[in-house]
Amino acid sequence: MAGRRAALKAIDWVAFAERVPPNQRTMFNNLKTRSDAIAAKLTSLPEKPLAIDWSYYRSVVAKAGMVDEFEKKFSALKVPEPVDTQTTIINAQEEEANKSATAYVEASKARIAQYEKQLEKFKNMIPFDQMTIEDLNDTFPETKLDKEKHPYWPHKPIADL
Amino acid sequence: MLAVCVCRCTQCPLEGVDSTSASVLSRCFTRISPVSAILAALCREGHREAETRVPRCCRNLVLHPSDMLSRLVFVSASALKSSGPIGAGVVHASRCLHTSSQSLAPVPPLPEKGGKVRHGIIPEELFQLLYPKTGVTGPYMLGAGLLLYMLSKEIYVINHETFAAASIGAVIIYGVKKFGPSVGAFADKLNEEKVAKAQEVKDVAMSSLTQAIDDEKKEQWRVEGRAMLFDAKRNNVAMLLETNYRERLHMVTNDVKRRLDYQIALQDLNHRLEQEHMINWVEKSVISSITPQQEKESIAKCITDLKALAKATQAKATA
Repeated sequence: MAGRRAALKAIDWVAFAERVPPNQRTMFNNLKTRSDAIAAKLTSLPEKPLAIDWSYYRSVVAKAGMVDEFEKKFSALKVPEPVDTQTTIINAQEEEANKSATAYVEASKARIAQYEKQLEKFKNMIPFDQMTIEDLNDTFPETKLDKEKHPYWPHKPIADL
Repeated sequence: MLAVCVCRCTQCPLEGVDSTSASVLSRCFTRISPVSAILAALCREGHREAETRVPRCCRNLVLHPSDMLSRLVFVSASALKSSGPIGAGVVHASRCLHTSSQSLAPVPPLPEKGGKVRHGIIPEELFQLLYPKTGVTGPYMLGAGLLLYMLSKEIYVINHETFAAASIGAVIIYGVKKFGPSVGAFADKLNEEKVAKAQEVKDVAMSSLTQAIDDEKKEQWRVEGRAMLFDAKRNNVAMLLETNYRERLHMVTNDVKRRLDYQIALQDLNHRLEQEHMINWVEKSVISSITPQQEKESIAKCITDLKALAKATQAKATA
């Protein structure tokens, strides 16, 4: 009996709930309800079954030897433990999740770097009232008027005015 | 003439009127003739160069959006653009000259107000120039003398045009004095609106960027919690296994108990059946052993007994 059961890790459901993004909240709730049901079922079962009162049976049952036979076979019986098939699968899932998570974090960091670069550009640009039109075109290339495509004033389609 | 007027754009041709009126003038001119716009650009560049190279002319280079030159930039930008190639070339040329002799720092902001003028035309520098030698009244004497000289020597001849010029000048001065500030304020407002719009765009962009950065950080933090999910799953699996095992144990015990109890129940049943059978058999045999003779005798006996009992009770009742 000993060493069969891996110690159950205490799970902080509150902290777990904080980290769940809102679009996965239903899945998290389902998981929680399932886990709670399983835990309740586990606690409802006593750990050891009630011991059989052999002396009483021996005194009552008339057939000789039957009770002794039962008792012998019963104590010799070993109930097989259920085989754990899922833990390896779960571990594999965890590996995959870790991989995708690191990839996502990398991408996220790249995005953050991009955003910060743009933020720096905004922070370091000269105030609008000190700009000339050339400075404006340098800072925001999209404001540059395309003189080749539209050679005549106003150098942009009339609809854009 | 027009060109000369515009050239002095930074030194306000009309005294006592602030730079707004001059901007009105220049704006009119630039609207009408792109050529003057080019000249305005030239003068602007020249003025900027002059400003940076001749510091004594610089007043405080304080930035102010209502500076007439910035108004020129924004309001007459369209006029400039039409004379694109020439203006651009000139602007660039002066820019290169500008930067080659000095550092590559960006051009300092345009001065808030144009150069100071007295009586709307005459630059203050002249007065300052002459002050050490001729005092306060010097330039006025110079002006009066020059005027007198030109009139008396008939270098400037008074004719019909003089009166026309005087009347037109009076009307223009009146108009500018009356409407100058409001028009200037209007142009300033246009300018402000443009700047405010750009500023708003910038603010929105910055706030959305910071927000995006925060969101990304939050998502990263969220991702860190993935281990908890797998712990929960493993826990579930372990709990299920444990439950299953306990159920099996219980099942075994219960089954053994049931069988033993069955044996006991079987025994009891047998015992009971035997008992009942025996009783029935004894009863049957007793009843069958009662002969008719015995029956009659027992009935007669019963009757005599009953009579005796009746007599006894009657006696008891009457007594």
